[in-house]
Amino acid sequence: MKYLMHYLQTDMQKVILMGILAALMIGLSIASPNFLSITNFTNVLLKVAIIVIIASAANLLMITGNFDLSVGAVLAFSGILHAYMSKHGVPVELSILITLIVAMAWGGVNALTVSVLGINPVIATVGTLFIARGFAFLIARWDGGANIMMGLPRDFVDFGRDPVFGLVPLAIVVMVAAVAIFIFIEKRTALGRKAYAIGANLKSAKLSGINTVGIVALLYVLVGLFAGLSGVLQTSRVGLASPTVGKGLEFDVIVAIILGGTSMLGGVGSTFGMVLGALVVGFTANGMVLLGIPFYYQTIAYGVILIGTLLLSQKFGTRAKA
Amino acid sequence: MTRTSDTIIEIRDIKKSFPGVKALKGVSFDVARGSVHCIVGENGAGKSTFIKILTGAQPASSGEIRLNGEPFAPYHVSDAIAQGISCLYQELNIVEDLSVEQNLSLGQEKHKFLFPKRADNLDKARSILANFDESIKLSDKVSNLSVAQKQIVEITRALVTDCSVLVMDEPTAALSLGETTKIMRVIERLRDSGMTIIYISHKLSEIFEIGDSVTVLRDGEMVATQPLKGMTQTDLVRLMLGKVVAEQYIPSTGARDETVLEVRDVSTRKLRDINFDLKKGEILGFYGLLGAGKTEVAEVLFGHDCRGEIRKDGNIINMKSERDALRSGFALVPEERREEGIFGLLGIAKNVPLMNMKTVMKNGLVSGKAERDLADKYIDMLQIAASNRNHPVALLSGGNQQKVVIAKCLNRDSDIILMDEPTRGVDIGAKQEIHNIIRDLANKGKSVVVFSSELQEITGLCDRIVLMYDGKVRETIENGENIDTDYILDVVAGKEA
Repeated sequence: MKYLMHYLQTDMQKVILMGILAALMIGLSIASPNFLSITNFTNVLLKVAIIVIIASAANLLMITGNFDLSVGAVLAFSGILHAYMSKHGVPVELSILITLIVAMAWGGVNALTVSVLGINPVIATVGTLFIARGFAFLIARWDGGANIMMGLPRDFVDFGRDPVFGLVPLAIVVMVAAVAIFIFIEKRTALGRKAYAIGANLKSAKLSGINTVGIVALLYVLVGLFAGLSGVLQTSRVGLASPTVGKGLEFDVIVAIILGGTSMLGGVGSTFGMVLGALVVGFTANGMVLLGIPFYYQTIAYGVILIGTLLLSQKFGTRAKA
Repeated sequence: MTRTSDTIIEIRDIKKSFPGVKALKGVSFDVARGSVHCIVGENGAGKSTFIKILTGAQPASSGEIRLNGEPFAPYHVSDAIAQGISCLYQELNIVEDLSVEQNLSLGQEKHKFLFPKRADNLDKARSILANFDESIKLSDKVSNLSVAQKQIVEITRALVTDCSVLVMDEPTAALSLGETTKIMRVIERLRDSGMTIIYISHKLSEIFEIGDSVTVLRDGEMVATQPLKGMTQTDLVRLMLGKVVAEQYIPSTGARDETVLEVRDVSTRKLRDINFDLKKGEILGFYGLLGAGKTEVAEVLFGHDCRGEIRKDGNIINMKSERDALRSGFALVPEERREEGIFGLLGIAKNVPLMNMKTVMKNGLVSGKAERDLADKYIDMLQIAASNRNHPVALLSGGNQQKVVIAKCLNRDSDIILMDEPTRGVDIGAKQEIHNIIRDLANKGKSVVVFSSELQEITGLCDRIVLMYDGKVRETIENGENIDTDYILDVVAGKEA
């Protein structure tokens, strides 16, 4: 019976999220004249896009019962690396390719520590966080400053700023693509099915011959790749690479995922729910800015949402494993 | 029963019920001072519950215990310890990273001006330790000691707190033979010094070696309490298992003349020189008491490390993991269905294909239709009672869960199917159905290996039976009309031929 309730409630969670989202839209449209504008929506979506791109991969990773706290640092590192190479004569396309490969290598480090060596993901991925962040500062230092801003080639920023078909910003297109890919993986591939199985019962998965180590490792590499891609997109759009960007991004990602109904213990969750979670977080933040709520209240509200979602997840989590 | 001066514990009509289950249905016996009193019984007989009540971990529902003639009803483990009953649990209760000395004074540290004070009873501890094993020093780090030595440290800890009764729950389960002998000597010495020991073990040889008297529990009831002197191991096994009603054996229809698996001289930490063959289309049963090594044989066939030789279809195979075993053509229905078999959060349709995703893939993608069809096929074939194929498997009854695990395993289409306790915790009806499924498999040319601690299941199902005792294969017998269950009990009880 508990399980039935659990199932009802995870789907219920999506219904509730859609309700909250609708309420936010209506409320903010009435409360703020600037809310219902293309500029504002584009701004919100650009912010949400970075979270959703990473969370698409990280969601499936969490469905296996694992998570990655290094995504913000990998994003910052990738931005810096891409800017540094572009500035020092590497063609932009090649630079992007190299950056994505290096970002996958960061994922590979997590894969090795967590999946192969079995180190606790909190410790292992926070370790990666510090190392990647440190290298980001180091590369900025090689360039001679705190940030890389001056002397970036033209097509560096063109890549991030030219809208696709003259309409939609690239980051939003990538976001839609990432969501589509992971919904597809979730519904139609053996990888998706096995990820759920690993999260539902690791021991059964092993005894059923599922390559648990390999699948979790692959997902860490994919999360690294998408964090790197987000880093490239963000620096290209802003035209500035800073080693300090993306601090706390890992929590934005986890909040979106958990709010979307994915269990921190694994076995349950969906990409669609995660997108809803990210939109709720994005529009709440936007609303608070528009309503002129001071930033410290915003920070407090964020903390409350974080703990609230964790409590929610804890409740569902214990149910799931009861 | 009248109390004599040398009775230390009197147990009178102890009952314990949990919601829906009566774990103990009235247990009464006396324990003589300075004796080794053994408690035996198969899984679920109520041993653990009884120990928990005696050591204060759980209260009894009704009944009375008297210790030295005084009523004894501990509310907490520390309560029992204060009154002189200490318990050594199966899992060592010892801190690996601390020294022996620190472990001995754990929880009883005394402080002087906020600084830890040297425990007063260290000299006593040292002399107790030296008595058992001179090589253990108080300054040694526990993680460097052998398992038996750790156990000695635990015993010492109980002794420093002046206990008069020591409860030992399967102290030798994790020990090698040499280490076991060492602990046996320790127990003898304790008894000679006047200590009363309550000893729980599955190893009958140990019980006969050191025990003075024995209490047999079966299904929560006390079957007998009597001196061990004059008893044979077979007598004891008979008391433990109760009456064995033979199920009608129906031989597998295949020719059973083609050998698919040869196991030669396989040994591990708990197995010694295991030899057997498996024929095509045969149901081979492994029977032995708990701890005889059945599960270990299943593990070895499913990719665990071992010495020796395993040949499948004449070729030596070398398996290093479960995946290797699956690739070599084995599939396992594991013993613990909830922990190792099902994916409780997922529906039947998602559980069934997980051992062989190819069966639901079309053009490299998972096909929802193939998945539904596959689920329906097995729901129909195995008569799984479920209202919905997306129903989380955890909500199904034990028997239906087990059928889902079997379906997952059958879908792998392996040549050799290993089934560890295939009907444990399953109701009678489902049990019959599962037995019929197993017979069907064999008749279709699969080879099935059944590991069971239920003799009835083994004699009703298996074409040949491998009898195990103490990590060794004692004998392999053919099943047939005049199968002699008494003889089987003699063999698995360790009686020499």
